[in-house]
Parts: sequence; C-alpha cells; structure tokens
Amino acid sequence: MAVDVNAPMSGRISEILCKVGDQVKFEDELMILEALKMENPIFAPADGKISEIKVAPGAMVESNQLLLVIE
Amino acid sequence: MRPYFAKMSDFGKPLRENRIARSQQSRARLEAVEAEIAALRKARENVGIPAEKINERGAMTIWQRLDYLVEPGTWQPLHSLYNPEENEEGTTNVVDGLGKIAGRWAVIIGFDNKVLAGAWIPGQPENILRVTNLAKRLNIPLVWLVNCSGVKLPEQEQFYAGRRSSGTPFYRHAELEQAGIPVLAGIYGTNPAGGGYQGITPTILIAHKDANIAVGGAGIVSGMSPRGGFDAEGLEQLIAVTRDLKDRPPGRAETHYTETGFFTHVCDEEKGVLDGIKTYMRAIPAYDPMFFRVAEPAEPALPGGDLYHLLPFNQKETYVLEDILARLVDASEHMEFRPDYGPEIYTGLVKIDGMLVGVIGNRQGLLPPGYPEYANYPGIGGKLYRQGLIKMSEFVTHCGRDRLPVIWLQDTSGIDVGDAAEKAELLGLGSSLVYSIQQVDVPMMLVVLRKGSAAAHYIMGGPNANRQNAFTLGTAATEIYVMHGETAAVATYARRAVKDKDSGKPLAPIAEKMNEMARKYHETSRPAYCARHGFVDEIVDLKALRGYLKAFAGSVYQNPKSICPRHQMLLPRIIKG
Repeated sequence: MAVDVNAPMSGRISEILCKVGDQVKFEDELMILEALKMENPIFAPADGKISEIKVAPGAMVESNQLLLVIE
Repeated sequence: MRPYFAKMSDFGKPLRENRIARSQQSRARLEAVEAEIAALRKARENVGIPAEKINERGAMTIWQRLDYLVEPGTWQPLHSLYNPEENEEGTTNVVDGLGKIAGRWAVIIGFDNKVLAGAWIPGQPENILRVTNLAKRLNIPLVWLVNCSGVKLPEQEQFYAGRRSSGTPFYRHAELEQAGIPVLAGIYGTNPAGGGYQGITPTILIAHKDANIAVGGAGIVSGMSPRGGFDAEGLEQLIAVTRDLKDRPPGRAETHYTETGFFTHVCDEEKGVLDGIKTYMRAIPAYDPMFFRVAEPAEPALPGGDLYHLLPFNQKETYVLEDILARLVDASEHMEFRPDYGPEIYTGLVKIDGMLVGVIGNRQGLLPPGYPEYANYPGIGGKLYRQGLIKMSEFVTHCGRDRLPVIWLQDTSGIDVGDAAEKAELLGLGSSLVYSIQQVDVPMMLVVLRKGSAAAHYIMGGPNANRQNAFTLGTAATEIYVMHGETAAVATYARRAVKDKDSGKPLAPIAEKMNEMARKYHETSRPAYCARHGFVDEIVDLKALRGYLKAFAGSVYQNPKSICPRHQMLLPRIIKG
C-alpha cells in the first residue's frame, strides 16, 4: 500500500534526508521544510520503502503538495 | 489517589537512529558551549590567593569548606559566573547554591576568602539578595560561611549606599527570621564593620577561635586624623596603635563568647565550625520526603544523555518538547492538562523524586491546521496565541489551589502580533497570566531551554516574577534578548534607510550599522553573558538539569508553608475528566 507524504504548509524544502529505495521507520525524519522562519522536519507517517520523491532541495512547495511516497 | 499517581501515562519517544546521525554537529556545539562555561567556572574558582597558601595559613578555602559541609552529590551551584559590574576580580566574591546538609536542603552562601579576604565588592549585594529571596521562596534555611573583611574601600561608592546595597541583606536576614526561616552562620577570619553585621544578623553564630566580628575593625578604630591631614609624627602614633590592634583586634572570639555571649560555640578547628552547622541543621524541622511523595522515586525511563540529540543548537530547528521533558521526570510519565486546547503550550503534572510538580512549556514546530483560530495565517510553536495564554493562566491557578510547585520550560519568540492578535485580546491575556502568577503562592523555577524573548520571556514565569520565581536556569543553547538582533536592526534602521535612499545617499553605511547592531545583540545574549549579567542564575549542562529539578522539588516539599491533601487536589480530577 502506498502512503503519500504531503506538505503540511507552504514553504521551502531545505533538505532531503532520504533517497528512493531507503527503508524508513515510522517517525523517521524525511525532509526539512522551512516555513515561518523555522526548520520543520517532515516525519514518516509509517514504516516502509521510499518509492518516489517528488521534490528537489530548494523547491518551494504549497500546502498539501505531494512530497514523496512510501510503500 | 494511588491510581492517579503510581502509574501515570508514559510519554516521550525513544531516540531514532537517523536523529542521532543528524544531530552530531548540534551535540558537538552544545558540548563546546558547556566546556566553555565549565572553563569559566573553573577560572572563577581559582581567582585570588592559591588554595595552598590559604591552607599554609591554617585556613580552608570557601570551596574546601563547602566540600566538607555539603552532602556529596547534592551541590547545585548558582551564580557561578555572576559578575554584573564586570569586576576585575571576575566575581561578586560570594559563592552560593543549593545543597543538602545533614539530610536537609539549604541555601548556602559564603565569602570567597581567597579574594581580598572576602571583601564586599560591586555586584555582591544583588547576588546576596537573590540568595535571601531564594531561601524565602523555598522556605528553607539560609547557611552563611562568613569570612568578610568589609568594604573594598577604593570602590565603596558602587555598592555601599542605595536601596539595594550592601546593608540590605541585614534586613533580609531579619525578614527571613521573622518568617520563621533560620539563618545559620559559621564565622571565620576578620569581620569588621559590614563583615561584623554579616556575622551578627544570622540566628545562630558558630565561630572559629581566630574569628572576630566587630562594629569597626582594627583599621578604623584609631579614627580620622585629628589634625585634618597626615604627617610623619601622626603616622608614628598610628603605627603604634595599629601594632597593638593587630595582636588584639576588637570583637575577638573570647569577647563574643565569654563577654557578650553572641557566639553559640567557638571551635578550635575549622571543621568544627562546619560540624556545628551540621548539628544545628539536624535540629531544624523538615518533613521526611516520604511525607509528600505520591509515588516511589524513579529515574526517567528514557536516558538523559539523549537530550544532546533532542535539543537542537540551531535555533531554527524545531523539536518535540515532550521528548525533552520525558528525559527529566520520574519514570518518563505525566498527566497532560487540556491536550486538545492551546496546542502551542504543554501543561501537565509530573513527578520529580516522587513529588508532584506542574510543568508548563513551549511546544515547537508546526501547529495543527486552523490554529490560531482567530487568524487566517498558520501558527508556529514558540509563539503564544490566545488559547495557550488562557491555558497557562488556568493551569497556574489550579497549581496554586492544589499547592503544586511549577517548573517552566521556556523557548519562546514572543506573543503573536498584528491586528487579529490584538482583537483576540492577546495583550490582555498576557497581563492576565502575570496576574495569575502573582496571585498564587507557590514556588516556581524556570529553565530557558533556548530562546527567552519579548514579553513572553516575562510572562512565562520569568525571573521578573520574583515573588514566585525561585531561580532561573539556562542551557548551552540559551539566548535572551528583547528580540532577535536582525529584527532589532530592521526596527531601528528601516525608516532611515528609506530616507537615505530617497535623498540619494549610499546605503552601505546603514547596512554596516545594522550588522553591527545584530552582532551586539548576538554577543550580549550568549549563555556566558546571560550568566554574568544575571539574566539566568546559572547555565547548566543538559545532563545536570535533573539534579536542579530534584533540588527544587526537595526544597519546596521540605517545609511547605501551605499544603493540599492529595485526595483534595482538583487538577488530577480535571485532567482525568
């Protein structure tokens, strides 16, 4: 089953801490979203494998925009 | 009430591998600042005459006296780096902290006899007033190691006179005694004038055989020159008088033991004085800690060493407050108050050494969508909004009613601003929190985990809440200022930049001034600066924080002025619903 990870608010992706194929665990830090002058980690909502990453470091994202997919 | 307290809810998450990997640099920076603070503390301990020389004279240093007096593992130093007047000595010349003597917590303070024989110097009155306030707030004994040569005469104008000057502590001793708080004094060395009053104002006076306390010391007994000046003949007389007084100074132990009887005991050995203090401490009423424990004491289930990976040094990085708190409290358990309201603020009950304590802290990071409910912009942790302000006021009020001490964990950038925030009454709610804190009567302590900023630093149990705030701690990541330096630079120079631009002037000079201002804000908000100027009472290693929490809880529950039976407390019932 695929789990989408979306941006909780608009901001800038300052860092990507995983790559496609990585096995991640629930609440691992996957990306850093810079918003409201703070660096906010995006956590894994479930255990699984990163199947797609939809953004690149430095990308500006909108609220709810798809960031990556975990399978 | 066992079902409420014996086993509370577990909280805090184990440290994750990728968090450890990602936070190595942050850990190194935290530890580097802690090493810097430790080096400053060591340098401060070594100022003045070397310990060996003091020992050769047959005396112990203040540090050796403390080491003998205080139970191992209980000393929690305060004001180690405090030197608000930037004295050349690098100290206010008193050493203080919380520690256990004969099984009881006490506030302990002594003159540093390595520096000017323990003289009064600038900044010292404020240091002593913080200490007498602490004893009053915690309602525990104040123990003095008196060894005070009196005023450093060339600088007397900086601390002798005034409303909060070197005479003020004497009145504070009376205030403590009138409140039923004993002041014990171990007296060493020569204590003339101010030193004499340091010696006489406590409750019980135990002296070393070579000690003296006097209205005036040998140096001034011969008085002013009767001729209105000095000459060789007058100096001959002065030399003769001085020689005699050196051998027989006024206020010797024999005078104040045999003649006046001020001294309760006179001891031949330095350690005998400290043994005497221990004897009197044993005679002071104190509850056995089991009296107020709501559960067996337990260390946190999650390791304290994790804190170095959980509290980011980088102020822009967010973290989970509960993960920090769970490493500080018994069994990593809590009871959270109103988890569904005011999400930017944590409020809850925890146990410290088996005793019940309220905790209030700033959460960090993104807040749930739709919050704050009064505005169309997103909320972020560290800021205060309407619900959080209301929740803090409610919680403080309940803690007051249930006679529960409060620990604040502060990391705040301020209260929300703007038209929507004003309409949402944030100014009034901030002042309501001040009112709530002031109207309860429970001891509080504050840890500024990282940022203390704007009015939020005041209203979240800041040191300014000095009726309740017993003491304030900082960490290696602490920074305290009215606002970030870059924000201050913009606020100061933005309009000037517009003017200069419109009149065709170059902008580089203003940019340089703005950078300079931001640099100054940075330098004057670092941990060592905060400690030196008393923004905090001590900068504490993260791994040492729990020791202070235990000292605070133990002190508060040692002899509380007012108690609430656990089965009559409301907060646990409100939380349970």
